[in-house]
Amino acid sequence: MYGSMMTSNKALLDSRDDIDEIDQLFSASVQPAIPIQQLPPSRPKSPPKVPQVPPVPAGLFSTPAPPVPVSTNPNGASSSSSVPPAAPSASGFGSAPVHSTLTEPVWHTLRRDILRVASNVWTVVFPCFSGAQPGKALRDWDLWGPLFFIIFLALTLSSSASHNKSVVFAVVFAVLSSGAVVLTLNVILLGGKIIFFQSLSVLGYCLFPLDAGALVCLGWSNKLFRSVVVLVSLAWSSWSAYPFLSSAVPPARKALAVYPVFLLYVAVGFLVLAND
Amino acid sequence: MSLYVNLQNEAEAASGNSVPVAGDTVLQFQESTFSSGQATGKMTGNNRPGTSDANFTTPLAGGANSGPEGGHPAARGSMFSINYYRPYFDVDTVDVLGRIKDSFIPISGDFVEKNAANPDLYGPFWICTTLIFVTAALGNFATFLSFKPTAAEPKWHYDINKVSYGSAIFYGYIGVIPLLLFFVMKYYRAAIGLVQLWCLYGYSLAVFIPITFLCVIPIELARWGVVAAACLLSTLFLALNIRGHILHTTENWYLVVLAVVALHLALGLVLKLYFFTYFSFSL
Repeated sequence: MYGSMMTSNKALLDSRDDIDEIDQLFSASVQPAIPIQQLPPSRPKSPPKVPQVPPVPAGLFSTPAPPVPVSTNPNGASSSSSVPPAAPSASGFGSAPVHSTLTEPVWHTLRRDILRVASNVWTVVFPCFSGAQPGKALRDWDLWGPLFFIIFLALTLSSSASHNKSVVFAVVFAVLSSGAVVLTLNVILLGGKIIFFQSLSVLGYCLFPLDAGALVCLGWSNKLFRSVVVLVSLAWSSWSAYPFLSSAVPPARKALAVYPVFLLYVAVGFLVLAND
Repeated sequence: MSLYVNLQNEAEAASGNSVPVAGDTVLQFQESTFSSGQATGKMTGNNRPGTSDANFTTPLAGGANSGPEGGHPAARGSMFSINYYRPYFDVDTVDVLGRIKDSFIPISGDFVEKNAANPDLYGPFWICTTLIFVTAALGNFATFLSFKPTAAEPKWHYDINKVSYGSAIFYGYIGVIPLLLFFVMKYYRAAIGLVQLWCLYGYSLAVFIPITFLCVIPIELARWGVVAAACLLSTLFLALNIRGHILHTTENWYLVVLAVVALHLALGLVLKLYFFTYFSFSL
């Protein structure tokens, strides 16, 4: 039933606007026997119904909210689902869906974002396996992945700290987020040609190995083991960030652009190591 | 002599003028790409020491090179655009390394003169940031090495506040003290620009980075000795350079230099006492 509703929705997109569409969805789900074409064509577009529209999708799609915040986006670059339906083909970054994403289930939206994050991680952090050219800018960049990795790392470090948990979270979050911004500005000021948000995205995705290292270090407290894990993850992070940054600046300034990245990852690695 | 003159034309036009041309090679300079309306201020080379334009940096007396700005500051965009700050990052790796090496060996007080045309902000900012990270990390490591479990504190924990306080101390010092010194120098009509002062102060901190590695040694005397040596080097570097600029402009130059020295020694003291002191009873 739901599948047939979706296909008939696509057919009706031209003639009805979205509010009518949702109304018909709701009424069709209540009275399943009535085919859509038999509804009176000249329904009054009643403005008082507008305030009722938001609660309706929330009632229909009552999936439990995952930890990733869907409604707010501090970075300002969100996936297409949280943008109000100003245009039927909502503008994502990179690949834009061709149909309206307002009426799709929340799980589809989340799955699209999760798949995009996963594919970006695959491209950035595992360039040898994914066959992507190292140094080529991320085509389908987004900022959800970096946000998730930064928050995850800050939470991990904060939860395993014994003193000043909140200060640890604040410092790690501030250092990582402002560090990414400052590193991007550094490359731009040195004369590199990069796109600001794309660089933020790559630097955020390169945190993935450190996240994995921090997770592993949560389990073991042997200092030698942790040192090895931290060294490996920090080398991996720097190695995945290096091609992108070094190809952006003139070769005489490569070290100037790469050194601060290394400094940031070493700082975070130290924090991971020092946790007890 | 302005650099943006076609020497060949001049040689042709002025008959019998003694324009030195080396042998048979004709020196040919590029035509200036700036319109005549923009050839003001620094390009004329008529700058007297002590006068400064709206821009932060002033060329020193006799400096003909217009520096990285290359024209009227308004051509670079507003203060809130990235382009405005690009000239201050116009350095290569070898330049930065050379400047750091100069700051380690303060025998001659001409750091500012050597870099007057191209003061950079890359060095100060990243040296400061490196110093913050290194002092926080190694300060915690030093407490880890000298940790003895007591009843009140059975396990070692790291102090994250070293990062935040350290950044306040170092960024504050590097940001504010050169600003104050700039105002003092302008009062005494010394020829130095704000960015050059920031550059000078930033590179003077470079000496502290290696010594923080040495400060991990758990012998108190060694720590004090190492910090004192670094303070001496760094302060000497600063003092020689500042003295060179202010010496002939005022009677009270020694007061200014003394204040600079005192503040810098205070910074070294804070570095030792806050980051590398541990409160244990043995050694």
